[in-house]
Amino acid sequence: MSQLGQVVGILRKLNEEYQISTPKKLKLIDAYLIYVLLTGIIQFAYCLLVGTFPFNSFLSGFISTVGCFILAASLRIQLNKANQSTFNVTPERAFADFVFAHIILHLVVINFIG
Amino acid sequence: MIIFIILPIFSWSVVAANLNVANLNGLKAQFQTAIKSFSDIASLHYTLAGIKELGVQLPDSYCDNINKLVDKLNVESIYHATEASKTLVNCKLPVEDYRATLTAVLQSEDSKTAELYFAVRSSVILGITVDESKIEKRLNLLAKTDDSVVSQGYALLTGAQLSQTIAKSYADTINDLVQQADEIDGSILQYEGGIGATALIFNAFYEVAEKAGVPVKIDSKQLIKFATYFSSKRHVATLRSAYYLTKIFKHLSDNKNQVPVVVSRISPSAISPQNPSVLVSVTNILGQPVGEMSVVAESAKRKEDGVVVISKQKLISKASDFSVYELPFYDTKIPRGFYTIHLTLTARNEGKLIGLTDNMIDVKVTSEGTIENVELTVSDRDNTAQAKTYKLSYPNGQTDKLELDYHQKLTIKFQIKDKQSDEFVRVQQAFLRFTNKKSNKEIIYLAEPSDGANSQYKVEVDLITNANDFRHQSDTYELVLILGDSLLQTAYEWKLNNNVQLTFHEESLADKNHQKLYLPRPEIIHQFREDEKRPHNVVSLVFSALTALPLLVLLILWLKIGFNLSGLPLGLSPLGFHISHAAVFALMFFYWKCLNMFQTMRYLALVCIPLFLFGHRVLATLAARRAKKV
Repeated sequence: MSQLGQVVGILRKLNEEYQISTPKKLKLIDAYLIYVLLTGIIQFAYCLLVGTFPFNSFLSGFISTVGCFILAASLRIQLNKANQSTFNVTPERAFADFVFAHIILHLVVINFIG
Repeated sequence: MIIFIILPIFSWSVVAANLNVANLNGLKAQFQTAIKSFSDIASLHYTLAGIKELGVQLPDSYCDNINKLVDKLNVESIYHATEASKTLVNCKLPVEDYRATLTAVLQSEDSKTAELYFAVRSSVILGITVDESKIEKRLNLLAKTDDSVVSQGYALLTGAQLSQTIAKSYADTINDLVQQADEIDGSILQYEGGIGATALIFNAFYEVAEKAGVPVKIDSKQLIKFATYFSSKRHVATLRSAYYLTKIFKHLSDNKNQVPVVVSRISPSAISPQNPSVLVSVTNILGQPVGEMSVVAESAKRKEDGVVVISKQKLISKASDFSVYELPFYDTKIPRGFYTIHLTLTARNEGKLIGLTDNMIDVKVTSEGTIENVELTVSDRDNTAQAKTYKLSYPNGQTDKLELDYHQKLTIKFQIKDKQSDEFVRVQQAFLRFTNKKSNKEIIYLAEPSDGANSQYKVEVDLITNANDFRHQSDTYELVLILGDSLLQTAYEWKLNNNVQLTFHEESLADKNHQKLYLPRPEIIHQFREDEKRPHNVVSLVFSALTALPLLVLLILWLKIGFNLSGLPLGLSPLGFHISHAAVFALMFFYWKCLNMFQTMRYLALVCIPLFLFGHRVLATLAARRAKKV
């Protein structure tokens, strides 16, 4: 019982810390990440329940969510001011890369979805 | 069974071909059949000439046939006619009828070597003079353009029709032509074109050498290889080949040429106490005796291990014409096996005999075998302790009925002893045969020998394991032991028991109808791949809707966090950026619905231009705004 209580306590502390220290922009991106994750989970659940037909469509949908997640995550990393020293890109440049990569990702996904 | 007996014979004939006596009777029969009816002048020529070679003179009535069949405008036809007329005693042909054609061929620049030969030979027979120097020039020209062996053969034949000096110059080229022959398996020489070409060319050697007055200069080994080739042709298809072959055999047995000697075994191949000697015949290729010889068996080697049993033993002459020699071979000390005897001959008189060394004869020494220590055991499949063993001895079988149940097995053990050497031997065939007395169906099992010197044979028949061989048919069977070997004097078929009752566990199955194998099989209907199981339409629609749900979650979260909508820049550039961004998504939708990759790529390239332009401007504005704030 006490272990569970400890875990809950830690989580609450984490949440508070997060709410305070993260800037708004990053929180928006985090919300986007959660959305993409949920979509991916639902797709995967469908595949497990019903079967893999048509396999190519499932793959393309799933890879689309995975790809979006990765791109958004990389955008978040680049926008985070704490990482300014490692990266040498402006936020605008990061966003432009994000859009460009997304175009290519969507092209491939739509091609594969059949 | 037959396969096993043929195998050892095959291994003998893979050895290099041997020189045999010619099949003269076959050739004679071929000519005698042909003489009954003629279809063309060539057949008439070859038949008449062939029969004449064999020593039979034909009546002049055939002259009419010649005149009827000849085609006066064809030089080859004229050639056949003139040659045919030469075989008869008094057959005069109308020379003037042919003169025109012959002269035309002799003068023409286009005649081939064969045509030239036909023309020259016909002219010589008919008594028409030919311009020898001109012919020689033509032949030299043709030798440059046509270097096939048949053309060279015809050139020799033509040379033989001209003066002796010309013939001599051609006779000197015989060796060159011999070098152009193909050697097969190291034992045969032939020319491209088979028996027809080879026989023509070989015969040409002798004709031109005879005209030149010189002996045919061929290396004796090569001559034997040619002779081996000719003697291997037991039957020839065409009369032309038959005629040339007859001439060749006569040349090869003519004492003024080199004469190959044919050494062959005329006794049966198996040596036993009833047949203790090897009889060898020494003749020429026509089967005629070649004079007194001293025949020595240099060695007799066993094939499997090279053991030499005879060394430098002289054979005894048995015939008054010195054509048959005897070698006593059988001896109790000589073990069973296949032997090769190497014979060398020495002629008493100096002559032109060749092929005197390197003659090989194959014989086999068989022995008598006895079947010993025969045991027939009936035992339980699982418990071999309860076994009933019967001892049998050849030729007595069991008289009592033998009953076997499905929980029993039958085992038969035996050994085969060589009477002479007292050793236990292995045989090529050792079978146990069950014959169903009702249906006469045979089920045969192989007896396997054990390793080692005692070579005990064993065969086991289990009524559960082997039930399918019998098709579970519980019937009365006859039991027979079969033994055979090429080196065993007698084979054995020993009825062990006439009344064996086998009872199987399951119901009997019908015999396999082997005829059904040749009837049409059942038709195979193609089955297309079945579609995978798909969920109900409703299920997939529900889940598609579910996928859209997280979008709501996103909006709620964004609102909660506080979307900075007020900071959204307005103006042409941002508007342009958003429109082109939306256009890209629209393009993706259309790509999914109806476009293909190429079209999409083109449109995408088009849309990307404003997208980047506007995007760049918007981002620059944002960057400036941020810089200002800082």
